[in-house]
Amino acid sequence: MVVAELAQYVATGLLVGGVYALMSIGLALIFGVMRVVNFAQGDFMMLGMYLTYFYALAGVDPLLGALLTIPPFFVLGWIVHRGLLARVTGGGDPQRQMDAQLILTLGLSLVITNATTMILTPTPRGIRTAYATQAFTVGPILLNEARSYAFAMALVLAAALWLFLTRTDAGRALRAAADDPEAASYQGIDVRAMHGLAFGAGIALVAAAGGLLATYYPIEPSVAVNFIVLMFVAVVLGGLGSIPGAFVGGLVIGLVQSLTLLALPFQLQNTGVFIVFLLVLYLRPQGLFGRRARTV
Amino acid sequence: MSLRIGRLAVTVLLILVAAAALVVPPAPAAEDVKIALVAPLSGRWARQGQLKKMGADMAIEEINSQGGIKALGGAKIVLREADAGDSVEKAVSAAQRVLTREKISAGIGSWLSSFTLGVTEVAERLQVPWLTLSYADSITERGFKYTFQTSPVSSVQAEQALELVTELAKKNNRPIKKAAIVGDNTAATVFFFKPLREKLLAAKGIELVVDEVWTPPLADATAIAQKLRATQPDIVFYGATNFPDSIQVLQKVKEFSVKAPIQGVGAWLVTPEYVKTLGKEMLDSIQTVVATHPMKGQEEIVKRFTQRTGEPFMTQDPLCTYGHVWLIKEAIEQAKSADPKAIRDALAKIDVTSGPAATSFYPNRIKFDERGRRVGATPLIVQWQGGEPFTVVPTAVATRPVAWHK
Repeated sequence: MVVAELAQYVATGLLVGGVYALMSIGLALIFGVMRVVNFAQGDFMMLGMYLTYFYALAGVDPLLGALLTIPPFFVLGWIVHRGLLARVTGGGDPQRQMDAQLILTLGLSLVITNATTMILTPTPRGIRTAYATQAFTVGPILLNEARSYAFAMALVLAAALWLFLTRTDAGRALRAAADDPEAASYQGIDVRAMHGLAFGAGIALVAAAGGLLATYYPIEPSVAVNFIVLMFVAVVLGGLGSIPGAFVGGLVIGLVQSLTLLALPFQLQNTGVFIVFLLVLYLRPQGLFGRRARTV
Repeated sequence: MSLRIGRLAVTVLLILVAAAALVVPPAPAAEDVKIALVAPLSGRWARQGQLKKMGADMAIEEINSQGGIKALGGAKIVLREADAGDSVEKAVSAAQRVLTREKISAGIGSWLSSFTLGVTEVAERLQVPWLTLSYADSITERGFKYTFQTSPVSSVQAEQALELVTELAKKNNRPIKKAAIVGDNTAATVFFFKPLREKLLAAKGIELVVDEVWTPPLADATAIAQKLRATQPDIVFYGATNFPDSIQVLQKVKEFSVKAPIQGVGAWLVTPEYVKTLGKEMLDSIQTVVATHPMKGQEEIVKRFTQRTGEPFMTQDPLCTYGHVWLIKEAIEQAKSADPKAIRDALAKIDVTSGPAATSFYPNRIKFDERGRRVGATPLIVQWQGGEPFTVVPTAVATRPVAWHK
């Protein structure tokens, strides 16, 4: 019985962590390539949730809808990079650029949240799916269907990103631009275009994560605040900028949140996460995947 | 030549002055009376702020179209809303801003008890009378002179809700032996759970088998559902004010086939978006204790509300705020002044039993005791039936008979 209970907590933690992982790799990709801390990442996730909701209203299954958020959000990310971020990245005094980036992404986050509140009203919306309240039974363990599908898709998308980065020329160019922008540009790599690609892909990934989340989580303009801190923790935990690190970081957060409940009351659920976070930073300041920190 | 022109000019001037003297000067237009609404209009409780504003707007439109405040020569009421956001700090600074920028006669807010505790401190300091629907006992336990609480306080709600559910369960041959407490740690919920946990349940011989409280947002509700399934309580006392948290818990309760009846605390459990997100079948027979809800005889108000807002039904938040605006109007009529102190004194003495203000609350009487609590305030029980929440208790004002959980 105790083993079954423990297994249920582990399974739940991993399922929750899967979506955290997908949310976090977009953030890690953007930081790894551009050195931009994107505070608006959660807001793009929220927009991804809304788009999936509108797809669902048009009759598209939300799991497919989540995938269909990728192309428009890639374009949106690319436009945001070209129109806004490109002005404060890629050269100049690093300290001033960092300040400008922080203010820009924070401002962007405020504008997106409030514009969404104005246009779509604060009324929460939800996608009603049968799988949100059904579970696969594996022995004594119940695996929520919506979360299981979301977990599987998160794995597929993370694997696709990994393949893209390691097996394609564009992916290699992206990594080169991340490792050493100057040397990359000597090799004929358009670093600015690579930044646009990274930002677009990072936004598209988090929008897809939002779409998956929307299959079991209500959508409202302020939903980002529930997740943005966890995303940052996952990214730092895994080693700043490391994509496998962020993925593992996300899984660890889900797992710790769940397992904390075995020993601590609900009110201290996130305390476990932050204790692990502090421990990791204390014992391994570069994060779990630190050796590859600041690379993708 | 120049002399004639001069004379002409003087004559014209004299005529103009005489004409001006003959024209009766218009009565100075009655100055608008400004009232503040500090409610969450952004962040995770924004929906509740939006509902409150709908109620305030409706009352103000009615008052102004019926000739405004008669004692002030038909003065119109205008609303100054301020966004309480999603934290006590934001709520307090919003109150500070709205109350110091211009002369505000009275205020309403701020939905979440935790916010109201902060906002009423500002109102007390600036001596502006404040009406609130928040439930927490502590709001009117601080000796404040400017705070008026129309809702029955949380501890009273807990007592009455427990009385009701034990009686209903007994009638249905399913006596309550085990209870669960599940909810967040916002002030109203805390004050509802506290007496249950400390004395009320034990006094009835009910065992508390699950006691899970969290700080919003809730990451995942699996552990809660698991505990409920393992302990099989006969009733779940439920307080998840944050919508995503509540949806997660209710979805998990279904997924884990937990069969216990759910008794909530607060109107957050009966908003239209629950039907859209969960479907009406899942909600059937879930009930909640609220400060007010449309009662028998209020069909006309509900109709006006649904027509002007497009909302499918009316709930506590707009109804309470609607009543509050009418109550402020009533107090101004009695005070014959828009001065905050005079309105505060009028509210302290007020005793109304009819009109839109009184009928918005149960029982239909508004009189405050020395602490600022409404005398005799009694909660209502509202239950989901067929995708709509109906008042089911007390029977005298119920719009549907109560149905016990199957």
